[in-house]
Order: sequence, then C-alpha cells, then structure tokens
Amino acid sequence: MIGLALKMLFGDTAKYLMLVAGLFFATFLIVQQASVFCGLMMWTTSTLKNVGAPIFVVEERVEQINEINPLRDTDVSRVRSVTAVRWAMPLYSGIQRVRLESGSFKTVQLLGIDAASLAGGPVRMVEGNLEDLRLPNTVVIDQLAVSRLSEDAEHPIKVGDQFEINDIEARVVGICEAMRSFTGGPYIWTTYERALQYTPSSRKMLSAVIAAPIEGMTASEAAAEITRKTGLRAYVNDGFGENPNDFNTSTIWWYVKNTGIPISFGTTVVIGFIVGIAIACQTFYAFVLDNLKHLGALKAMGMTNFRLSLMLIIQSCTVGIIGFGIGLLATSSFAYAAIQNEQPPFVMPWQIPVVAFLVIQFICMIAALMGIVRLSLYEPAMVFRA
Amino acid sequence: MGILSTIVRYGTLLFAVAGVVCIVMISRLQAERQIPPSGDPPNPPAPKPFAQSVSATGILEALSENVAIGVPVPGVVTQVAVKVNDSVKTGDLLFSLDDRDLRAQQLTLEAKLKVAQARIAVAEAQLAKLDAQLARLSAVNDPRAVSKDDLENRKQDVAVARAQLESARADASSAQSEMEANALLIERLSVRSPRDGTVIQVNIRGGEYAATSPKNPAMIVGETDRLQVRADVDEQNATRIRPGQKGRASLKGDPKVVFPLEFVRIEPFVIPKVSLTGAGTERVDTRVLQVIFSLARPDSPPLYVGQQVDVFIEAADP
Repeated sequence: MIGLALKMLFGDTAKYLMLVAGLFFATFLIVQQASVFCGLMMWTTSTLKNVGAPIFVVEERVEQINEINPLRDTDVSRVRSVTAVRWAMPLYSGIQRVRLESGSFKTVQLLGIDAASLAGGPVRMVEGNLEDLRLPNTVVIDQLAVSRLSEDAEHPIKVGDQFEINDIEARVVGICEAMRSFTGGPYIWTTYERALQYTPSSRKMLSAVIAAPIEGMTASEAAAEITRKTGLRAYVNDGFGENPNDFNTSTIWWYVKNTGIPISFGTTVVIGFIVGIAIACQTFYAFVLDNLKHLGALKAMGMTNFRLSLMLIIQSCTVGIIGFGIGLLATSSFAYAAIQNEQPPFVMPWQIPVVAFLVIQFICMIAALMGIVRLSLYEPAMVFRA
Repeated sequence: MGILSTIVRYGTLLFAVAGVVCIVMISRLQAERQIPPSGDPPNPPAPKPFAQSVSATGILEALSENVAIGVPVPGVVTQVAVKVNDSVKTGDLLFSLDDRDLRAQQLTLEAKLKVAQARIAVAEAQLAKLDAQLARLSAVNDPRAVSKDDLENRKQDVAVARAQLESARADASSAQSEMEANALLIERLSVRSPRDGTVIQVNIRGGEYAATSPKNPAMIVGETDRLQVRADVDEQNATRIRPGQKGRASLKGDPKVVFPLEFVRIEPFVIPKVSLTGAGTERVDTRVLQVIFSLARPDSPPLYVGQQVDVFIEAADP
C-alpha cells in the first residue's frame, strides 16, 4: 500500500515538485524568520553574555540591560556587605562615540570593569593580554571593532593602535571575541575608573554592580537576598527562560512588549504558514482530483475508505517531510553565511525546527483532509460510468 | 520522462536528508560559537574575612591624621629646610618666607631705640645739673641771699627734669617693645613643625609664592610609622557599625593581600561622600559614616599614605 501511494505521488512529477516547493517555502520562511528573530532578541542581551557575571544588581526599576538607571558609587559596598555575596564589582556600560584618526565618528558600547579583579572582562582573547588593561589609557576591543574602527581593509586596527573616545586617547592592548550588540556598536572594554573619564560626567555613573554568590548558594538565592537587604534589583544571568528574575528574560520581554519587532517577524512567519497552506492544499487537491479515477478504481476493488485515507496521509506526509528537509537545507546555508558573517543575527534553538516540523505536518494533514473529504464523496461506480 | 522522475524523486529525497544533516551541524556550530559563561574573574578577590560584614572603601592616612601645614601670611618662600620623607620634631624649621620688609623695619626700630636711649642720657644729665643747682641754693642759709621764689622755681625745674627722664625711659621701653614685636613677626615667617612626624608631601620650593589657601597646603606632615584607615560606610549600613568591631583591609590594586585593622573610633558626624575613585568631577549625593581604624605598617608590600583600600568590617547582626 505504501509503495502504491508513493508510486502515485512520484508519478506526477510536476505536482509533486509544486507540493514540495510550497512546503519548502513555508519551512524556510518559518525557520529562518523565527531564527533571525531569536538572534535579534539574543543581541539585546549581548552585554549580559559579554560581561558574563552570575548576578547583575541594578536600580530598583530597571527592566533591561540596555536602559540603565545609574546607581551611586557606594552601592558597590552595600552589595558587598550582603552575606550571600562572594564578590561584587562595579560595572560601567554605556554608548560612547569614538573618533578615528581619519576624523570620522563611530558609536561604541563602552564597558568599564574593576581594574584589580578584571571581573566582567572578555572570556576569549584573540590577541593581546587582558591584564594589560591596567596600563594607562588602554582598551580591549572586540573583533567587530577591528572592522568598524579600521581605516580600510588593508590597514586593520591592531594591538598598539590608538583612537579617541570623547577626545581622550585610547590605546588598544587586546582584541577579543564578543557577541554583537543590538545597537550595532562594537564592544570596548576598559577599567571602571577610566570609563568614567571617557564618559561625560553626570551625577551618578555606576551602571550596575556585578556579583557572585558564595559557595553553596545558587545565584537566585543570593539575588533574592541582595534585593531584600539593599532594596536594589538583583537579576541572575542564566539565559532566557521562565524565571522573571533572569535579566535575559526580562530584557527580551521588554523588547517583545515595547517594540514592533515581534509583530514584524510574526507577520512573516504567519505569511509563511498561509502560503504553505494555500499552495499545499490547492496542489494536493488538484493531485487528488487527477488521481480520482485510480483511487475510485481502488475503492471499487474493495479498498476501504480508511485505507485510502491512510494512503493520502502517507502521500502528504512524505511531501511534508521532503519539503521540510529541503527547507532546512536552504535555512542551513543561510545560517552558515549568517554565522560566519555574524550578520544578520541568527540563533536557532532546537524548538524552532521541531515546531516548524509540526506546523508543516499540520499543513499536510489539512491538505490530506481535503483530499479525503473529496474521495469519500466519490462513488466507486463513477469510475465505470466514464 | 522516467529518468527525470527518478532524478526528481531521489534528488529531493537527497536534499531533504542533507537538510536535516546540515541543520544539526549548524546547531553544533552555533553551540561552539557561543561565548561560555565567564565564571570567576581572572584575578579573583580574596574571600570575605567575616561571615557577616559591612564593606566600605577607605583611604590610608598617617596616624594622627595628615597635618596640612599652613602659612601665616602669603609670601615668597626663601628657603625650604626639609625634604620629603625627612622626620621632623616639634619646632623644627620646615621652611621660611621672605622677611626682608620686616627686617628693614627692624633697622628703623633699632635706630629709634638708640635715639630713645640717648634721650634718657640727656634727660639724666639735665636732671643731675638741676639737682646740683638746687642743692647749691638750698645750702645757702641766708634768706636774703636767695629769694624764696627762686628756690621754688629750682625745685620745680628738678621735678620737670625728673618727669622728662621718666618720659624718655618710657619712650625707650616702647621702642624696645616695638623691636621685640617685630622680631616675633620675623620669627613667625619661619614655619615650624607642629608635631613629631614625617614630611609626607612638599608642595613648595624656594622662590615660590605660598598662598594661604587651605585647598593646597604647602606641606603635609604626619606620623607614618603607624597608619590609619578612614573607611567610608554608606549611611544605609551605618546602623550595623558598632565601636570595637574588627576590620580587614586590602589594597585596591592587590586584593589578595589583607591587613588586620584595629578599631580606633567612629567619627560622630556623617558627611557627604568625598570622591575617592579618582574622577574629580564626580558628584555623589550620598552621605557616609567614617570609621577610623589603625594598622601597623607591614614590611611588605609597602603601604603609602593616600592609597585606597577596600575595607570589610565585622558586623554582629545581618
């Protein structure tokens, strides 16, 4: 029966290709757009990934990392005084302008970390030494900054080169790997004290306090105690999930609620779904109509409606799986280019292909259902009438 | 037609399988590219010394505080008698200001004194002369030879001469006092150490103008054998501070070296936080309770007055 069903399916190459193309298109749109959306959302939390501390303590009403209400300097001491905290260090994070030797301006994401412990520094250094950050007027830049701040492709910025941040000299002592920021500016690390010098002064300058829990205590427990003792908001930094006290979760939800990004991507995903349904259902229905004679003959030969329906379901599922697979192939090539290029954003959690597969199979089921309805209305006697 | 159909059939199947394989590879690649969580900082801070503690930032001072030496009057410095790191005793000369104007005045005053002294001599001679004349007239017993009026006049003359002598003496004494006062003023221009200690900072050199501004002291003297830490505790943690609590300090640049601290006192006046973090323009509206601890100067690493330290103070209750 399966062989017969597949033979029937592959027999009509044009319709088969049409079906596969429709489902391929739907898969590609759904998976690629959803992944780009996830990637974009991940970019909003890149400061959290790049700083990488287990606990972020911010002002009471701060909801996301890119919109910080600064704290007072002594708040580092207050957080440090909490028993559950093993260490607590100041962090400056802000968008500043860099002036290149050519005179052009670029915005950058400036991070200031504690000079003694270097807590919050980049994890993977490509070139140079993070410890050199203690030298005067030094910064560590990320790989994006290399392409962004270089004069041209032949003269890339390298260790030992200089530029200016707000008219103050900055000397590059290291290049590191970092996740891209949502605003598109490269990340530049320096010490906290120097970050304050680079930044035009305001009344309060401390963006956040980063901290770690003591041994034998989880980050969430420690964060809860910091909030209770100091009245500041302590977020954990585990990654997007269900915990509302996670800074990643909180930041991403802020963007979902306050920007049009989910609507725009959601629309594309829905269009993919509709296109898939439209093409698949129409083509499959036409395919069933074309093969109605054969199906009718089978029915007349005594095949039950149930078995015939099973045949249609097998056919549509096969088309679905193949279309889905080709869709993944196209997505993969897009993803490969995106990951190598680090742009556009692309992050694909395992849920996306799984959900997409279920959606495609759902489309196929609807298509099969239409065929089944048509078939069940078909009288076997009709075959002989023609 | 048959071949085409077969190609399409197996081709699509191949693509589909390739797609699934590729997507698995992509998600592997993605996981590889992900930046791992950083964990501990490269140079982890020392563990907290106490189970319950209040943290503060502090600054090292000389015990008995740093004395900013002031100048009595603004003026040009002629000589600086000490160098940085010299140990000085109470009363040792630190530096002297230009005193030529006062010394010039001294010359005038000296001349004035001499004049006054000469006047005393004149007055004394005058008195002796009149005294002798009076004695001679008084010796004449015949009332017809000396008129009573004449004798009386002579007596008056002697009294006047005596008063003149007193006046001349008073003038001399006044000139003497003026000279002494001037000498004191000259002495005032030699600035001397108010206490035993070490010269920590010299901001003035010979020939420079020393102003009386308290912001910019000419010299700082302090006791550096024992240091003290002035710890700024956020006012919100002030309730957890009690006299006698122990403390531990570590240098800002080297969190691994920890010094024990002995409680000295709590400053009873809560003051606005003075920026310790370096940025001069920083303005912070928080107030801090200052707690003073003393510490013996360790052999290694060297400690310097004015260094920043991170302080942990043992707290009894959370």
